[in-house]
Amino acid sequence: MSSLRALAAAVAWALALAGAVGTGGGAAAAHEPPMAPDPPAMMDFVPPAPGTYQLHAIMPSPDGHVLDVRGRRAPLARFTRDKITVLSFIYTGCADARGCPLAYQVLHTMYDRLGGSPDLRDRVRLVTLSFDPAHDTPEVMRRYANGVLADKGPGVEWAFLTTASSRELVPLLDGFGQDVRLEPGAHGTKAPRLGHVLKVFLIDPRGVVREIYTTSYLFPDVLLNDIETLRLE
Amino acid sequence: MSSRRFPLLFGLFALALAFALIGAPTLARADETCNSPYMGNLIKGQEDYVYVWTLGVPGLGDGSDKLVTIDANPKSATYGRVIHKVSVGGRGEAHHMGFTDDRRFLWAGGLDDSKIVVFDVGTDPAKPKIVKRINDFATKTGFVGPHTYYAMPGRMLVQALSNAKDKSGVTGFAVYSNRGDLINVVSMPTDKGGDGYGYDLAINPEKNVMLSSSFTGHVNYMRPLDKLVGDAEAMKKFGNTMVVWDLKALQPRKVLAVPGAPLEIRWSLRTGDNWAITAAALTSKLWLIKQDSAGEWGAKEVATIGDPAKIPLPVDISINRDGSGLWVNTFMDGTTRYFDLTNPEQPKQTYEKVTGKQINMISQSWDGKRVYIGSSLLANWDKPGDLNEQFVRAFNWDGKELTPAFEVDFTKEKLGRAHHMKFGAKAMKLAYPEMRTARAGSLR
Repeated sequence: MSSLRALAAAVAWALALAGAVGTGGGAAAAHEPPMAPDPPAMMDFVPPAPGTYQLHAIMPSPDGHVLDVRGRRAPLARFTRDKITVLSFIYTGCADARGCPLAYQVLHTMYDRLGGSPDLRDRVRLVTLSFDPAHDTPEVMRRYANGVLADKGPGVEWAFLTTASSRELVPLLDGFGQDVRLEPGAHGTKAPRLGHVLKVFLIDPRGVVREIYTTSYLFPDVLLNDIETLRLE
Repeated sequence: MSSRRFPLLFGLFALALAFALIGAPTLARADETCNSPYMGNLIKGQEDYVYVWTLGVPGLGDGSDKLVTIDANPKSATYGRVIHKVSVGGRGEAHHMGFTDDRRFLWAGGLDDSKIVVFDVGTDPAKPKIVKRINDFATKTGFVGPHTYYAMPGRMLVQALSNAKDKSGVTGFAVYSNRGDLINVVSMPTDKGGDGYGYDLAINPEKNVMLSSSFTGHVNYMRPLDKLVGDAEAMKKFGNTMVVWDLKALQPRKVLAVPGAPLEIRWSLRTGDNWAITAAALTSKLWLIKQDSAGEWGAKEVATIGDPAKIPLPVDISINRDGSGLWVNTFMDGTTRYFDLTNPEQPKQTYEKVTGKQINMISQSWDGKRVYIGSSLLANWDKPGDLNEQFVRAFNWDGKELTPAFEVDFTKEKLGRAHHMKFGAKAMKLAYPEMRTARAGSLR
C-alpha cells in the first residue's frame, strides 16, 4: 500500500510542478493565462484532542442510486450508514494536483492508518464516488480501484462507486453541495474539464454529515481526530 | 462649505474626537482577495460581472433594496452597464454579502430588518435569482444586524452586530448550513477583556485560527450621525477588541486590545505568512495581528492613515493576493490610498487619489489590475445634498496610477445607494445544466 500512496503523491506533485492544470480544488481561472499552481496547504498547528470539541450536524447525507465496480445497483445509503464514512467525489480524468489525486492520496493515508487501528478498522468506511458517469463506468472505476481491490489490505472497507447517468448523479451532487463546473480545456485543448472544489465528507453512522474538508483543510491528522471524536460520542 | 454639509462634517469630527476620548462606523467586505480560503473557485482572470448590493431609496425607482449586476468585461457589448437587477421587496439597510464555499449562492442581508436573502448565482451568473429568504435570524439566534457572511465548507458563518434584546453592541455569530438551516449560535466573549462586540470574521485554516473584530450596536448604527455624536453615553459603546478563536472548536482563545473600532480583517495570502491587517476607523490607524516566534498572537499599531486630525475615516481595505500592498478607502475625504506592505510592520503610503465625494467599498481583481469603488456607507450616515454621490466606479491600475474605466451613476439609474460588491464570471456556470434547470428555483 505504501507504494501506491507514494505513487499517488508522486503523480500529484509531478502535475503540480508541471503546472499543467489550474482549476478544480485550487482556484478556477476565468478565461485567463494559467498561473503557477498554489502551493499545498500546510498544517501549522496542533489539532485539538479528540472529544474536546463538537462537530456540527451539518446536514443529512442524501440518498440515491449508485453502481459498484461490478455494475450492481444499490442505494447510496448502503454505503453511508451504520459506520463512520469518509466520502470523496472524484472523476478519474481529473488532472488537478490539488483535486482528485490529493483526495485519493489522503484516503490512501487514511486507509493505512485506520488499518493499523483495531478500534477503528471495522468502524470506518471509505467511499470514492465519481461525478463523471459518462466516462467513469463501473469498469473504469474497477480499474481505478484496482490497487486497492487486488490488495488483501488492512481490512478497511473502501467502496468505489459511480452512477448510471447524470440524472441520478445531480441529486447527489446537490444534496452534498458538491459543485461541478464545465471549464475550457487546458493549454488549448478543446476537451472541457470538470472543475470542482475538492471536498471530503465525514458522515456519522446515522448518515449525518458532520464535517467537510477542502483543499485548505484536508489534513489526515485532523480527519483522524474527527473520526475519533465521532467514535467517542 | 454649505450649511447642509457642515453638520455632517462636524458630526464626523465629533465622532472621532469622542472616540479618541472614550472609546466607531460600518463598513465593508469586498474584492476577490478577501474571500474565504475555503472558496476554491476564485476568479483569477477577467471578471465578467460585478454584483452590487444596493440600498433602496424612497422615491427612487422601486425604492427597494436590490442586487444589481454590472457587465465588467471590456470585451462585452454591454461593458460598464447594468444588465440585471432583482429587488427583494422593501428596505432593510442592505449592507454586506458573501458567497458559499462553492460560489453557487450569494448570501446578502439587511442591518436593520435582520433578513437574509440567498441568491443563486451559479445557474445563470448574469441573472442572479432569489432562492431563499431567512426571515427569522433575530428570533432564532437572539442577534440582529447580520453583517459578515463567511464561507466554511458546507456552511455559512453569519457575524451579527447587535442583539435583539437591547440592540447594543453585544452580539455573536451563527452557523448555517448552505441550504439555510441554523446549526449553531456562538456569543462573542464578554470575559477576559472581551467587550462582546462583533463586526468581521476571517479564517486562516493552516493556523486553525479565526479572527473577529468589533463595531457597535443597532441603537448606534441606525441613528442619524449628528444625533449619535451628540450622545456622550452612546459614544462610549463602540468596540475596542479583536478575538483570536480556535477555529476547530469555535472557542475564543485570546482577546486583543485594538482601540478605534477595528473593522475589515485581511489575512496575507502569501504562503508562510502568519499575519493579518485591519484598519481602526476612528483613530485612522492600521493594526497588524501577528504570531510571534513563540506562536503567541498579538496586535500592534503599525501605520497612520492620512491625518487623523482631519478625520479621513478609513472604511474599507483590500489586500493584494501576495500581501505586498493594501488599498485603503477613507469616506470623509473621498480618498483612495495605497500602502506598500513589503514590511507589514511598517506599511508605507505610496499613492493617493480622490475618487469621489464620498467613498466606502473598494474591491480589486485577483491580479490587482482592476479596482472598483462604491459610494454608500449607511443610509443615515451618507453625506447630504450634492455630496451624496451614489456610484460604482471602475479603475485600471498599472502600479502607478488609477485610470477611470467606467462609472455607473446609481442615482441617475434610479437604483439606490451602492454598497457591497462581489465578482461573477461566466465560467462559474454549473455542469449538467439540463439537470439543473429542472431543480432551479429552490435551494436544494
